[in-house]
Amino acid sequence: MDEPLHSTTDFSAPAMVEGFAHVVAVEGAMAWLEPEQSSSCSGCASASACGSKGIGTTASRLEARRFQLVNDIGLRVGERVVIGIRENALLKASITAYVIPLATLLIAGALAQWAAGSDRVTMVAMLAGLALGLWLARLGAGRLMVRGDLAPRFLRRAGAGETCSLE
Amino acid sequence: MKEYVLLMISAALVNNVILARFLGLCSFMGVTTRIDTAVGMGMATTFVITVSSMADWAVEAALLQPYGLGYLRTVTFILIIAAAVQFTEMIVRKVSPPLFQMLGIYLPLITTNCAVLGVALLLVEGRMNFIGATLFAFASSIGYSLVMVIFAGLRERLALADTPRLFAGPPIGFIVASLLALAFMGFSGMSTS
Repeated sequence: MDEPLHSTTDFSAPAMVEGFAHVVAVEGAMAWLEPEQSSSCSGCASASACGSKGIGTTASRLEARRFQLVNDIGLRVGERVVIGIRENALLKASITAYVIPLATLLIAGALAQWAAGSDRVTMVAMLAGLALGLWLARLGAGRLMVRGDLAPRFLRRAGAGETCSLE
Repeated sequence: MKEYVLLMISAALVNNVILARFLGLCSFMGVTTRIDTAVGMGMATTFVITVSSMADWAVEAALLQPYGLGYLRTVTFILIIAAAVQFTEMIVRKVSPPLFQMLGIYLPLITTNCAVLGVALLLVEGRMNFIGATLFAFASSIGYSLVMVIFAGLRERLALADTPRLFAGPPIGFIVASLLALAFMGFSGMSTS
């Protein structure tokens, strides 16, 4: 019972990936949120000096990542909130978006190389495999969305000056 | 078949992009504070490296080599990588907007990842055929992702460890990275030559 705290940490517990967002609009029972500009190091608001964020138009990039939440907690425009997604949701999303197209691409390429042995045929087969994989990814993403796995959840209102914890 | 398997093992483990070739060190230290971000970045990078290497090989074989334009290789490859990242971003957004909201953050960072350009230039040096080049690029990026995830796991544990104040954070991270590199040197004993 006197063991130090860190040795009792439960690493198998389902964790949430947290992020910050601003409420930019409220439409009836729904609130539109815009994620805070983040960087490669997950530094969120503390990453103002990060050079990795300057690619593309930041404003348009953030606008493209706006999302809706059910506003049953009375959020108002300008409020800063902490949102979260389940950690395994990110993994599922990554697998759907990247692994499925890559798998079909490589399988198509390997089959074409084995059957024809020509670079051109392999190239065409890989492109066809990539297209097939993207179509399958679309189906998979639709299924995840229906199940609500990709939807961010409201966790709490962010305190003044609160940022992500960086080790 | 055997030569492709050896090529992939060599690219992923023996000549690991991060720990043997020292490419992609910025993301190695920057994105490995959490396993989930390391996995997201690793998968996105794997996709981009594979797709851009296919395009790089095609442009090298069809344009740069036949017309003696080798001196334009680096500029051309950078352009192709930027285009591949934009293409991937466009596709992910089109395939599923929620996926884009979740994963879009990693994509622009890949444009400036030197591992992507490094793998493309290594392909040219290797003078491989198309499938060989694609498998080499895929295996290199799998090696990159593997090291990212292992290192992220180690750093998550280190964050909870009782580290001396001066070593906390990046310093102990660099020490662990060096130990990981030493461990990966063990794979060089797998050489079949």
